[in-house]
Amino acid sequence: MKLEYLYPELGNLYGDGANLGYLQKCLPEAETVETHLGDKPAFASDPEVVFLYSGPMTERGQGIALEALRPWTSVLLARLEDGLHALFTGNSMELLGKSITDGDSVLEGLGIVDLTSRRDLKHRANSFFLGKAEEYEITAFNSRFSHSSPGEGLQSAFQVVRGVGLEPGCGFEGYRFRNLLGTYLLGPLLVLNPLLTRKLLAELGADREPAFFAEALQAYESRLSEFRDKKRELD
Amino acid sequence: MEKLRFYFALWGAKAAGLVLRILRRGGTYAPGKLALTLCPDFLARIGRPETLIGVTGTNGKTTVSNMLCDILESWGLDPVSNRMGANIDAGAATALVSAASLSGKCRKKLGVLEMDERSAARLFPVLRPDHLLVTNLFRDSMRRNAHPEYIASLMEENIPKETHLVLNADDPISSSLAPLNSRTLFSVDPLPWESPAQENLVQDVRICPVCGEAVVYDFRRYHHIGRAHCPECGWHSPAPDYQLISADQESGRMTVMESEVWQEYRVPSLEIHNLYNALAAVTLLRSMGYGAGEIADAMEKLSVVETRLQSEEIGRWKLTGSMAKGLNAVACSRNFDMVRHTPGKKAVVLLLDDVFDEKTSSENIAWLYDADFEFLNDPEVVQVLAVGVRCLDTQLRLLLAGVSPEKIKAVRKASDAPGEVDLASCEQVFVLYEVYRLEQAKELRAAIGERMRKA
Repeated sequence: MKLEYLYPELGNLYGDGANLGYLQKCLPEAETVETHLGDKPAFASDPEVVFLYSGPMTERGQGIALEALRPWTSVLLARLEDGLHALFTGNSMELLGKSITDGDSVLEGLGIVDLTSRRDLKHRANSFFLGKAEEYEITAFNSRFSHSSPGEGLQSAFQVVRGVGLEPGCGFEGYRFRNLLGTYLLGPLLVLNPLLTRKLLAELGADREPAFFAEALQAYESRLSEFRDKKRELD
Repeated sequence: MEKLRFYFALWGAKAAGLVLRILRRGGTYAPGKLALTLCPDFLARIGRPETLIGVTGTNGKTTVSNMLCDILESWGLDPVSNRMGANIDAGAATALVSAASLSGKCRKKLGVLEMDERSAARLFPVLRPDHLLVTNLFRDSMRRNAHPEYIASLMEENIPKETHLVLNADDPISSSLAPLNSRTLFSVDPLPWESPAQENLVQDVRICPVCGEAVVYDFRRYHHIGRAHCPECGWHSPAPDYQLISADQESGRMTVMESEVWQEYRVPSLEIHNLYNALAAVTLLRSMGYGAGEIADAMEKLSVVETRLQSEEIGRWKLTGSMAKGLNAVACSRNFDMVRHTPGKKAVVLLLDDVFDEKTSSENIAWLYDADFEFLNDPEVVQVLAVGVRCLDTQLRLLLAGVSPEKIKAVRKASDAPGEVDLASCEQVFVLYEVYRLEQAKELRAAIGERMRKA
């Protein structure tokens, strides 16, 4: 079993590397492989890769990552359709959409999901986020220059309870495509959400509690009660 | 009409400053804020000193500004400065109001203004510093600063063409700023006691700033600070004009080479970040034409600002307080590194929660996973107290860093922390605190000190 970290030199802006670090702690039998710029992605040749992670990056980094990943688009699509688990957090989730527009410049996305993104470097959106998935609540954070408009067929990931969704006024945050979760939420998402991690572990065939589950759950519940407190401002 | 508005703002700010001083309420922010509210282009209209030095960057700007002011004051130059106050537009306005005559002319010839790097657009174009020292650019609060590349682009857009830059040649991000401006660069050579292979979680220059290929570090000190080159396109760290070639721990002096001539300077602290701070101050003053000998004389009397680092011996213990800056993973990592490299058994008290978020929101704790808590996973660190409302998050972070559970204590109320310190097992206690928790850290240290005295 292999866990792949896609372009860690680009996608680790906000403690995001902890997502794979935590998963590795939960799955000591797995091996983490890093795919760097210029490398052939491990998912493209190694069927043992069961989980793919990509984290938020600078705006320049998005362009570089897109060009590096573009030749592997059809392979990635095939692996995702085949059930590969993947997590794209922060603005890296925009890479899989149709386009990223910034003023007059347009970056063509990989077109795997029906999503168009707009960047505005003059406005940064910060907030904590409380959302609902089917079996658990999500606590995390947003900090971004961009918003995305979902196409009609895009499957949502989390229902917004407090915070901003894919774009202002959108009732949901993130998207799902088979076993891929794309979300603007950033940072150590899996550490902050032990119930999400437990579900992911089960889907990966490891039906067990995540590492330091008791402590993680205690911190999660404390955060949850803060996020539910209406007196607490989003930012 | 606009002139009238300016005078109204100036006089109002002066009056407000006077009242606040009489009431002993500080007044390092409010008068400037009032002036900017009444006259939004106040900074462009108020008189500036003949020569203005700006000091900016992620870490070290307060220390360097204070050092510069101390040196200049020791020469009787009496610069206008915001050393006692805010480093954003309101702080700069307050300082300039205090130095202005009733007609708005600056009565001082020289100014040293610490400038918040995130406020570059509001400060640089209107204040037009003659000299701008950039200490470094690192990750900081993601909410305010996004990422260092973004801050660099913001600064780049706003640095006036005529401003002379003083830059850290060991920082590939800030040393690349405004390439057409004149510049003087400084660098610190690898020092004998440094480990050349420090691994940090955060390393923001892993690809070439020019061509995007992987860079190679000839020497990496910490994070992205070091000397790097790109094997693909030939980009490399710039050559320094002022080079710290050695530092002597016994005499507390650094030797700086410039144009084949060396000069010794006493430094208040030999921690590597303080060597950078001292070297930055020397480089700026030398680039302005002050003599190396007179700078060296002035540096004999310098000390690190007490709000940054405090240390005392109590009984058989040493008690140290150090500002670590919450939300700033690099500043915390530097502190964790200092702790692990200090000999002896240590207890560490972490008081890092953001003060403002604690009151009104909920802190984004992602930065905890950028900070090298792994450095605290050290046999000589015998206890770590995670103190404050985020103690459960910090506890989890420590566990994931490999710190053994029996060494960690999560303490929600700061007032409970002194009683939890395991004095029997340690020789030294570190209290690492966030900038706005200075007073709370003082109280905590006093209570721990009391226990040490009674033991």
